[in-house]
Amino acid sequence: MGFLRVLPLCGWALVPLAAGARPEAAKFQMDPVDHYGSRFLAVVIAIGIGLVVYNLLRYRGNLVGPTSWGVMILGVVIIPALTSGFGTILVFERAERVEFCASCHLTMKSYVQDMKDPKSNSLAAVHFNNRYIPDDQCYVCHTSYGLFGTVQAKREGLIDVYKYYTRTFHLPLKLRHPYPNGDCLKCHEGAVKWLSSHEDYKEALFAGDMTCMQCHGNEHPAHNIPQ
Amino acid sequence: MIGAQVLSLLAYAMGLQFLRHTTGGTLFLFSTVAPMLVMIGAFSVIGVIIFKLRRRHSLFDFETYTPGQIVFREGDEGDSAYFIHSGEVEVIRQEDGDEKVIAKLAKGEYFGEMALLSNRPRNATVRAASNLRLAVLGKKNFLNMLSAMPSAEEDILKTMKDRTMKRAAR
Repeated sequence: MGFLRVLPLCGWALVPLAAGARPEAAKFQMDPVDHYGSRFLAVVIAIGIGLVVYNLLRYRGNLVGPTSWGVMILGVVIIPALTSGFGTILVFERAERVEFCASCHLTMKSYVQDMKDPKSNSLAAVHFNNRYIPDDQCYVCHTSYGLFGTVQAKREGLIDVYKYYTRTFHLPLKLRHPYPNGDCLKCHEGAVKWLSSHEDYKEALFAGDMTCMQCHGNEHPAHNIPQ
Repeated sequence: MIGAQVLSLLAYAMGLQFLRHTTGGTLFLFSTVAPMLVMIGAFSVIGVIIFKLRRRHSLFDFETYTPGQIVFREGDEGDSAYFIHSGEVEVIRQEDGDEKVIAKLAKGEYFGEMALLSNRPRNATVRAASNLRLAVLGKKNFLNMLSAMPSAEEDILKTMKDRTMKRAAR
């Protein structure tokens, strides 16, 4: 049972693994949910692995007494349930990151590169480089669709996956649906600078009689992508 | 049981991979595949635990076996005693690596009581020698029966003593 006592300590050995959370973030920019959550989850997983391995080595994986029952229930039922439950928070947290979006939307790598390019004058780059949107830039500008929109997006995403792997996609990439004004206006609507520069169009934009992309599609594009 | 533990180890590995490097693939594995593995493993463990607890507390469950099926193996935890309702069993021990039939028991006889009284693992394997129907009495109820029925206790202790002596003589 001595081994069980040092299990929590073993967990801390895995903390550096989880520390990959956001290495570039300074302390004041740290996301506490991700920072502490990933470390906590790493420790819980390490304890779970320790318990299962202990049970496999000590009891050959069988239920032979109260201790093995306890270890088995903890390692195979309770801790995995805790891991899955708590992990869901991290899943939602990390699924909003730019790197996460780019890990599947491979054809959009150049869009991400443009966004991070300090010399680019695309809207995405301006928002990124001036930190108008400090984190999760893809997510902030491209998610106004809600739950059912997510289902539809995943369904359409499968078509994108097929097109990517069969190399049947066409450049330049185009949005399937018109870019909604709400995705811009949710931040800009009350901004003094925006209101002054969009004085003539704001009513039409609010009413949906005009779209943001009518001007920002070509003349001031959201992304500058070399064709 | 080992399968359930391997599944949970796989789920843990998916969790670590997700923590180390979050991509669409690792997130899918951790958020979709891992919970399924965990559920399969957890339900298996819970099922086995419920089965064992029921066995331990059962008051004459009936079980049937076909010839050649194992009732329990040498070294297993003893959780119940068995009374032969119909059919025959062979009591087998491993001696010098060989399987040796040390006794045959038939209708009206019982076995499996030694492990319950001595709190030690099964000391022999029992295999069905014909179509077999057993009445299974859980450990707790078996011990309750002995304390409530001194004559039954006496009878069982005598049988145990006879079997031990026969084994020693062999």
